Amino acid sequence: MQQMDRRWVYLMVGISVIIPFLLPMTLPVSITPEARMLYDFVEALPDSSTVMLVFDYYPSTIAECEPMTIAAMHHFFRKDCRVITLSNIPLGGPTMAEAVTRAIAEEYGKVYGVDFVNLGYKANYVAVLSGMGQSIESIFPTDNSGTPLSQLPLMHSVVNYEQIAFIFEVADNATADYWVSIVNAGYGVPMGCGTTAVSAPKYYAFVDAGQFVGLLGGMKGAAEYEQLINRQGDAMVGMGAQSLVHLLIIALVIIGNLGFFVGGIGKRRRIG
Amino acid sequence: MKTTVPIIVAFVAGVALVLAFFFDQRTLIGSLSQELRIWLSIVGGFTLLLGVVSITRVNFAAVRQRKEGWFYKLITLISIFAMAIPALLPSSWSPLFGRQSGSIYDWLFLYMDAPMMATMFATLAFYIASAAYRAFRARSPESTLLLVTATVIMLWRVPMGEWLFEQLPGDIPFFLNTYIMNGINMAVQRGIIIGAALGAASMSLRIILGIERTYMGKG
Amino acid sequence: MSGIELLQIWIMAFLTLALLSFLYKDNPAYKLAEHIFAGLSAGYYVGLIWDTVIVQQLWEPLIAGKVLLIIPGVLGILMFGRFSQQYSWISRVSLAFVMGTTSGIFLVTQLHGLVLAQMRSTMRSMAGADGFADLMLSLVIVIGVIATLIYFYFSKEHKGILGGTAKVGVWFIMIAFGAHFGYTVMGRVSLLIGRVQFLIQDWIGSFNQII
Repeated sequence: MQQMDRRWVYLMVGISVIIPFLLPMTLPVSITPEARMLYDFVEALPDSSTVMLVFDYYPSTIAECEPMTIAAMHHFFRKDCRVITLSNIPLGGPTMAEAVTRAIAEEYGKVYGVDFVNLGYKANYVAVLSGMGQSIESIFPTDNSGTPLSQLPLMHSVVNYEQIAFIFEVADNATADYWVSIVNAGYGVPMGCGTTAVSAPKYYAFVDAGQFVGLLGGMKGAAEYEQLINRQGDAMVGMGAQSLVHLLIIALVIIGNLGFFVGGIGKRRRIG
Repeated sequence: MKTTVPIIVAFVAGVALVLAFFFDQRTLIGSLSQELRIWLSIVGGFTLLLGVVSITRVNFAAVRQRKEGWFYKLITLISIFAMAIPALLPSSWSPLFGRQSGSIYDWLFLYMDAPMMATMFATLAFYIASAAYRAFRARSPESTLLLVTATVIMLWRVPMGEWLFEQLPGDIPFFLNTYIMNGINMAVQRGIIIGAALGAASMSLRIILGIERTYMGKG
Repeated sequence: MSGIELLQIWIMAFLTLALLSFLYKDNPAYKLAEHIFAGLSAGYYVGLIWDTVIVQQLWEPLIAGKVLLIIPGVLGILMFGRFSQQYSWISRVSLAFVMGTTSGIFLVTQLHGLVLAQMRSTMRSMAGADGFADLMLSLVIVIGVIATLIYFYFSKEHKGILGGTAKVGVWFIMIAFGAHFGYTVMGRVSLLIGRVQFLIQDWIGSFNQII
């Protein structure tokens, strides 16, 4: 068993992921307190608040992060919030922000420049985050497509973080740390975070310290948010496959350890 | 001169940004620091281009010298230019140029680059499963504790696992979230955050004071 | 589904399967996809930086009258001195500027935003405890934070009280890293689910259009 070709393990994983898509299973998703806190905070925002949605993830983690941004956009637009999007990720951030926001805005009849704006990307997130504290326009003289901010009605009333009611950062890297240390700590803007499962354990510390109002961790976190806003998305669909593969990996760990211990006992018997 | 001028630049820039935290943005220091942040963003953009220039030079040399695998290096070069050149041309010439939705740049990213990036990371699932089977062993009490915690958390984070826990007495999901994730895990992560932040702050001070110069390279 | 949409799906599927084929063994299709990926990613940076930084942040404000922006422009160009053996020292000024400004921001924000905030929260947790269970949890958190910090303190040998506390830290860290591993598995599996979802729902779903 210990010498089994690893490609058999790959095959088992592949089959475990495929089966739930061929035999769909709807599984109830329980809501963690951290996800509930995030939802409740956004729900309590006054309608027509101006919020920021930050696309700080690479396309590599699109499966975990995009359902969060999609759910967040739906939640914000339902509350008639005005949404400013931006990205600190040079590889694909502004493109993904554009793709997500335009598609969802159409559903709600939202108008670009009035109801939502995509600031795009500017280099060096440390400069961007601290610079927006004084003036967003000095860092982003134009939006993602090159239109001066002065020509966008939404930005007429937004100078810096003081006019932002809430920042929802969706990230797959450490930029969330800098949003907390520079923006939340420096300017007191309430923040929520959606992050990949790899990073989620770390951000419990920020939730406990009150630096994040709530936290979504991985695809399960995205599924929780989708359930809270009552909208089935890709994250909820993926929970069946997630369950099967987790059970498979646990079984592999147990079998691997059983083999290790039985092999160890056998070796000691042969020597003894 | 070659070392002194950069050290002075780092010192002046660093001190200006530190002082900015203690002065209102309408003061001279506030305005100066904002200008420096804008400059930092611009110079930061140029640093990103360094990598592109480097990869182009390396691949170009490999193709010119017909090194092993030069055909694939040529593919890389063609891909770089196929993405870059349409993006550099004015969008007023054609909707295919520039970066807007529907351009070549946008299409290549959405339908080739992004799916490939997602797939690269997706293969990690196979490797982690293989590693879990072949290497994840309870060799010591500490590793057993790690293994058991990992297994329980993996079960907790999926609906099937939650259902399994509901069949057992007690509120295991509540226990895991409150005492493991928001208790022990949170304490350790906090310790790591504090330690790393202290390290970053001390390194920043060393750079500003010119004690740390490794970023300048040799010479 | 239009012809273009069908073509898009099939290109995405081909590239996805080409990269996944590496799991069986290295092959020309994988190498081709890998090199295309490297090239497209590098090319993306060029278009992005040209538009967002050089045109929007530098050129347009410069010609509108912000003459001072010549300085960062020159600093940026000096960066490319790194590619010359003889003139690589020129790039030091640009690097020093970047490192200096970033360090200035970090020095305050890391201490104020992370160290002090996290320490404040740790101290507050004991004072604000609600009931015995909450108090015990707060105590666990305080012990955990201190034990973790002591474990990672390598300037003194771990002996005596220091060694004992570090040992406690090890137990805490094993549990935290176990939780982290569990979450990491979840994260990696989610990424695979995303790709499989595309292959089954979009790519195999497109077969109906063709047949």
